[in-house]
Amino acid sequence: MSEAAIKLTKGELEKMLAALMRDRTVFAPGSTGAKLEYLPVDDVSDIVFGDELPYKSPKDVFFPRCEKIVTFSENGAEAELPETQTVLFGARPCDLEALDMLKTILTQGKFKDPFFAARYENALIIGLACAEKKPGCFCDQRETDLDYSEKCDLFLRADGDKFEVLYVSDKGKKALGAHIPGLEQFKNTPREFRPAETLSLDAAEDDLFTKIDWEEITETCQSCGICTYVCPTCHCFMFKDVEEDDKAYRYRNWDSCMFPKFTLHASGHNPRAAKRERYRQRVAHKYVYIKENFGMTACTGCGRCIRSCPAGMSIKTVVEGIREELQ
Amino acid sequence: MIYEEMTKQIREAAKRLLKEGAVDVILAYRGGGLNEMQVPFFVKKPEDAELIEWGDRCYQNLAPYVHGLNKKVGILAKPCDVRAIVQYITEFQIERDKVTIIGVDCIGMVDENGNARPGCSECRVHKPPVYDEYIRDERAANLPAIEPKAGETTLEENLERFQKEIDKCILCYSCRQACYGCYCKTCFIERDMPDWQPAEIDTGTKITFHMGRAMHLAGRCVDCGACEAACQSGVNVRYIIREVTKFIEDAYGYSAGMDAEEPPALLTNKFDDKEFGFLGGERHE
Ligand code: SF4
Ligand code: SF4
Ligand code: SF4
Ligand code: SF4
Ligand code: SF4
Repeated sequence: MSEAAIKLTKGELEKMLAALMRDRTVFAPGSTGAKLEYLPVDDVSDIVFGDELPYKSPKDVFFPRCEKIVTFSENGAEAELPETQTVLFGARPCDLEALDMLKTILTQGKFKDPFFAARYENALIIGLACAEKKPGCFCDQRETDLDYSEKCDLFLRADGDKFEVLYVSDKGKKALGAHIPGLEQFKNTPREFRPAETLSLDAAEDDLFTKIDWEEITETCQSCGICTYVCPTCHCFMFKDVEEDDKAYRYRNWDSCMFPKFTLHASGHNPRAAKRERYRQRVAHKYVYIKENFGMTACTGCGRCIRSCPAGMSIKTVVEGIREELQ
Repeated sequence: MIYEEMTKQIREAAKRLLKEGAVDVILAYRGGGLNEMQVPFFVKKPEDAELIEWGDRCYQNLAPYVHGLNKKVGILAKPCDVRAIVQYITEFQIERDKVTIIGVDCIGMVDENGNARPGCSECRVHKPPVYDEYIRDERAANLPAIEPKAGETTLEENLERFQKEIDKCILCYSCRQACYGCYCKTCFIERDMPDWQPAEIDTGTKITFHMGRAMHLAGRCVDCGACEAACQSGVNVRYIIREVTKFIEDAYGYSAGMDAEEPPALLTNKFDDKEFGFLGGERHE
């Protein structure tokens, strides 16, 4: 853990963010009037400080809900790589762990996603510790320390009316040092992270398919998909091409394995036609397939899917049930 | 206390129906949700009826679970759930004798902070209009009458508000999935002949979706508020749907889901029906 650190008052922190706003787009927790969300802000007074967790993860800063990626014209195809320099402020440890997983999945696997990679490269990521777990959070069971993460450039902890700022990366140090010199320094003593017993699955795919009653598990699911939209690690997308005047454009939009048309083939066949099969994909992908492919469980325990589910479903309860069933 | 007594009566009714074989499954609620919410529960064995819970947090509209369930089903139904079931019957989606309605009086549901849930604060129907079994709540008889909140704003104000609401929308379609009335196998927005949903998720697409949905719910919305509650982005487009509902009530004297024998407004055509021009066109009285 980073030892070098400084302390800022809220006013100083706001000054620092205001300075960053001059040449970067800053995404920070802000209110839409109804909910707290990571929004682009151009006035520090619009930033909502505090321990409330935005309902949806900040993944759309790097992987937007909708993006135009290729333009086709007589001169051929041209990809439009994003160039905007950004700051993500206030990402929680669970979000930071998830972003790091997305980076692994989208840039270090068989295929590379240049759009995600460019956005990640262009971003200064400022993390923020959670003061406490919210209803539905189970980060401590998913190896996520709510008090610290090093998957960012700077990491903040609220301490009374001040903020402890830990330098995590050189990029972070440069960004901060460049703007506000001569601040209160202090030596950070790393706190010990005591994770709860880890919730994971060591199941064989065959067993998941044959020994688990997915019909029963998913009877109340409404296939609404919001669990995947709010999830920080879900990353499914689809393409859609449109023609306009004498050009054509390719858009990339979010998809979700909870949607009935998720794997509908052109032939009309759908290997996951029923919601029991789609929900099985959600659990297996997070807890088994990604582990097989990348050696990590792609669920940080942020609890967003649980808080959002209109039917009261919980991936935690489901995974616990599977563990019991397969013992 | 009152809820405990009602819960006892509901459990007894459920146990009896399951034992008699009158139903294969009963849709009800149990505890155990986040923030003490009561969540949907499929009761299949008489002994499981003991787990049923009834209270002021049984928010979810259970009617959508009935659609497409090929079983003899019983449903613990609040007045808005009953109205949705009645719509299914009048829209030929389910047969009356395939569903056993345990109708329950409802004085309104609350969220985790004790505030009235969307729909509940303006609810005008506190007693189930149709039922096979009936669970009474004395308090439901004495609730103040509420006038429908629609038709108060001008078209311009409406447009402005609508814009503000859909700005928050991320087009996840959860509202549609939660709605009893959105049971089309393929929603118009997902059709590509013609292509209703352009590639870009922008304001235009959102208008198309929400306006299209409002039109398709004309005279069908039962004001359960499930759409608004399902929306995690805090979008309230239900007020637009309410305007349409009010219009249908005024023009055709029809309220959705009140009578299983009455054909729905959209399925009836009478010679003396009033015809209204679309989008502010000529009216023929
Ligand atoms: S699956 Fe749920 S708890 Fe896990 S990371 Fe995604 S939203 Fe968070
Ligand atoms: S398959 Fe499902 S669980 Fe996996 S990333 Fe895609 S949407 Fe998320
Ligand atoms: S949020 Fe809940 S109801 Fe919606 S798709 Fe996910 S599990 Fe199903
Ligand atoms: S209104 Fe809400 S639930 Fe409906 S599509 Fe928009 S964001 Fe999703
Ligand atoms: S539109 Fe909303 S309030 Fe109306 S029936 Fe559907 S879910 Fe209920």
